[in-house]
Amino acid sequence: MMFYINQTSCISPQEFILFDDNHILRKATGGKLFALEPNYKNIPSAQLRRMGKAVRFGVGAALPLLQQGNDVNGIIIGTANGGMEDCMKFLKQIIEFDEDSLTPGNFVQGVPNAVASQLGLLSHNLGYNITNVHRGLAFENSIIDALMLLNEHPLNTYLLGAVDEISDFNYKIELLNGNYKQQSNEGTDFYESGSQGSLAGEGASMFFVSNKKDAAIAKLEFVETIHSSDEEEILNWVEGRLGSHLIEMDKIDLLLTGENGDNRVLKYYTAIESIFNNKISIARYKHLCGEYATASAYAVWLICELFKNSKVPLHIMKVGTPPQKIEKVLLYTNYLGEQHSLMLFSKVK
Amino acid sequence: MTAIVVTGLGIISSIGNSAEENRESLIKSRAGISKNNNFYSRYSTLLPFGEIKKSTAQLMEELNANEKGVTRTSLLALHSIQEAIEDSKLTLNQISSSDTALIGASTVGGMCLTDQLFIDATTASKGSEYLSSYDCASVMLYLQNRYKMKGIVNTINTACSSSSNAIMCGARLIKSGLVKRAIVGGSDSLSKFSINGFNALHILSSDICRPFDANRSGLNLGEGAAFLILEKEEDCKGKKVYAKLSGYANTNDSFHPSSLSEDGQGPFLAMTQAIESASLDASSISFINAHGTATENNDEVESVAMRRIFEKVPAFASTKSYTGHTLGAAGAIESIFSVFNIINQEVYSSLNYTSPIEKTGLVPNLNYRKTSVQHVMSNSFGFGGNCSSLIFSKH
Repeated sequence: MMFYINQTSCISPQEFILFDDNHILRKATGGKLFALEPNYKNIPSAQLRRMGKAVRFGVGAALPLLQQGNDVNGIIIGTANGGMEDCMKFLKQIIEFDEDSLTPGNFVQGVPNAVASQLGLLSHNLGYNITNVHRGLAFENSIIDALMLLNEHPLNTYLLGAVDEISDFNYKIELLNGNYKQQSNEGTDFYESGSQGSLAGEGASMFFVSNKKDAAIAKLEFVETIHSSDEEEILNWVEGRLGSHLIEMDKIDLLLTGENGDNRVLKYYTAIESIFNNKISIARYKHLCGEYATASAYAVWLICELFKNSKVPLHIMKVGTPPQKIEKVLLYTNYLGEQHSLMLFSKVK
Repeated sequence: MTAIVVTGLGIISSIGNSAEENRESLIKSRAGISKNNNFYSRYSTLLPFGEIKKSTAQLMEELNANEKGVTRTSLLALHSIQEAIEDSKLTLNQISSSDTALIGASTVGGMCLTDQLFIDATTASKGSEYLSSYDCASVMLYLQNRYKMKGIVNTINTACSSSSNAIMCGARLIKSGLVKRAIVGGSDSLSKFSINGFNALHILSSDICRPFDANRSGLNLGEGAAFLILEKEEDCKGKKVYAKLSGYANTNDSFHPSSLSEDGQGPFLAMTQAIESASLDASSISFINAHGTATENNDEVESVAMRRIFEKVPAFASTKSYTGHTLGAAGAIESIFSVFNIINQEVYSSLNYTSPIEKTGLVPNLNYRKTSVQHVMSNSFGFGGNCSSLIFSKH
């Protein structure tokens, strides 16, 4: 099973000018890489006021695609937490008002399926509508769902995307859990920090996917996922998957990884890089979007940008120089060293 | 075309700790609605709940589940998945094999620890053992770890239709050839968080819920978990098969974040498309396990949608009058009740009903009886307009 990515849209911490090597990238403040929000002129202001950040991101990223007059047959969203900020505001109401006389707005906006359902509502879409919330594989499971849908209904087009937000509350919980750095290195050198935890990130990435090759940007060749924390098993798994999909390693122009500066999970990235024995260029992207459970969706958006621009910016390179030709990209990422995914994309010519 | 069959069932709800106990309660019209004793909420004694009378500590002990950070939602899930696996006679190797998927649903996840979450998220605490347990995914990740599963694992949250979508996803994974079998279901426990959310929306009844009654006054929240084992028919030669999952559909009502449209277009499309996907005529549906939450909005809209589809609306009941509304577990629990209808050729009574909704005049099934049951439709409609219908058929 495969599909084509026909259109993309993204709200992330970066401006879209990633390809000018003189462009200054936005950096984290206080360990958090906040998304750069647009003015959302597509969203009716009365609705915008009620939306929490995750819903705003998701709707703000998807509506420009949906409003180009393109109908989709369904909406598939991956999000680990949905509107965490709203959820926690409601929790605060419960505690502070001792469960009495609460207003339901935050509760309704904070449910994880609020993004997909708001999109269904605003685009008058009565079709398939789903929200996958499987933490670090919420987006990958959404891709698998889209693949199956396009296999079942070959003529359809689906909106596929992912969104997660930084809220004060989930930041605190992740920080306590060691997943964000206590002493934040605000620049790209967080990769070299050697300490535990990463940089908090957020964003929304949205895609139109179909079996239509015309004017498509990229083709998803395969997606595979596994749950494990054994690096040997992960290494064997990646090799095995590449073998079973008959991937010739020398045809891959770039390995893009989710390396995130967390010394607890570096071993998985090192293991995967070792498969290629320094023979291909290796790049990483978390300095652009930060770490969050659905950050792999940002990587897919980035890969589409590489294909569109036929260029790899220097700032994402880890090993080797930017490849001259950028037509096949292998993406490996893991979330907290437990949920791993492997995807292969090729440029549509 | 590959037929998907059900080969294992596991369930825990306020009407029983096993499939057998649940069926016994359904036959005897015995509801599990009571006061809430397991944790304190302002509403514990003011509102009725479908509470499971096992404490969290008791579940931990019974299940030998002493892992750090394990929550009630995960324990209920483990309780029912163990039963389903045992029932289907799947081996541990089959369960951990990469061609077995685990697709589950939860809307509460570790938020059942509402007060603990508030402490961890807002105070200067050093963090409790539950830091990795609050999200919805924590439940399936717990099961995945416990059974060392290597296949596709997913968690779905489409509010009250979550586990119907998990069942649908599992069936589609098998049909697509990505896996050979799927363990599908859902789990949710009662929480201060969801009680207050639904209460703020003014849809909790202070009385026992009365699905499809003209004077219904809202829903009762419940808790529970249920899992089904789905396999390909051709892989089950010589094996006990309960029923076929013959149709399913997922649609969106596209009307309002927390209520359904007057003409019930989302429910209408979900039911119609599910019937189409099973290659059936509406007239061949024997019984409907309705969503029937007993809210003002749902029961009227669901009735309108049923009237639009069926020339003669088949016998239907809402088993939420027994279990309360178990949210992310409801679709799976009610799917098991639908499978019971088929295995035992019997239908259950909808409780607490006295007079019909004026607009539609529909009367639910009011007695337990043996009858011929070929195809049962199970409806689940959630917040955000997420509507799903499943059809189970006699094998």
